[in-house]
Amino acid sequence: MADGRTPRGAGEDGVAPVGPAPAVRPFLVTAGRVAGGSGEASSGRSMPVETQLVATTDGIDALDRLSFEQHDIVAACRVPQSIAEIAARLRLHLNVVRVLAEDLRTAGQLSVHVPDSGVTHDASVLRRVIDGLRAIPDSRGVLRDTD
Amino acid sequence: MTPTEPLVRASAGQSAVRPPLPVKLVIAGGFGVGKTTAVGSISEIEPLTTEAAITEVAAGVDDLSHTPRKTTTTVAMDFGCITIDPTLKLYLFGTPGQERFGFMWDDIVEGAVGGLVIVDTRRLDDCYAAVDYFEHKQIPFAVAVNAFDGQVAHTLEDVRWALDVSDGVPLLVFDARERGSVRDALLVVLEQALARSER
Repeated sequence: MADGRTPRGAGEDGVAPVGPAPAVRPFLVTAGRVAGGSGEASSGRSMPVETQLVATTDGIDALDRLSFEQHDIVAACRVPQSIAEIAARLRLHLNVVRVLAEDLRTAGQLSVHVPDSGVTHDASVLRRVIDGLRAIPDSRGVLRDTD
Repeated sequence: MTPTEPLVRASAGQSAVRPPLPVKLVIAGGFGVGKTTAVGSISEIEPLTTEAAITEVAAGVDDLSHTPRKTTTTVAMDFGCITIDPTLKLYLFGTPGQERFGFMWDDIVEGAVGGLVIVDTRRLDDCYAAVDYFEHKQIPFAVAVNAFDGQVAHTLEDVRWALDVSDGVPLLVFDARERGSVRDALLVVLEQALARSER
């Protein structure tokens, strides 16, 4: 593929990069532990990127005692967030978030909601997503010149 | 520094709030084909970027029955989301990967209900890997030709022939910059997923 032919309005080039993850210690914060490529955490459960993380009341109560990334994850997860959102917002590697989330879950400071594939693929759930999407207007607050 | 969101207090050790059920769609295609544009057109948040691990199968391995050599690299992954209601949230993950023919996206795709493969008709071969992947994984998907400037270089029948996708795979033209157009393309994928779930 010749380069220089990337069309305008296109994908990766169209978004302002969040910035590179810190070069130092991506896995230092996990003491070198890594999650598997498909998110195999130490519990043996896999954690897809959309897995929801929510701070527990214990976690919020412990915020003052938590440090660095653990603190930031619990603080951010007062509002439910996916693993991918936490990774992007805190500029952490996905698998670092997975490892830390598992630690925090074990400590009772974070609840980890791995979506049940059977539920997300259920017809009733899909119909709700379809109905919800259909309700989205053509433009986001921008008046169209026709119609 | 941290937002002070209103919390529903729960008993100790419990989640303070109940998270929505996340439903995931994957948007795939070659570099610069409009994945991030499509996500940004419909996402309620600015597309976020994170690094995803991609396991690449070393080129030259043609016997899938053997364990191929793998290397792991990281690539930028863009994503966004749409809140359907407080209990349900649709996530859109734009996955990179076009130039290699054997990589695995399992880290991103695991659990996805469907996929949308975006195609630029001037660079059809960029999307072969994505089509192969969804077929192999038996994930419901549709192929969407991104009409850059309203132009499509080939007819849909030509595209179908070139991609060698079955008649059961929907093929459509859309504009990644148009919210309604992206919405309709995603609906086609979801209808595929629904049909699969009801089978």
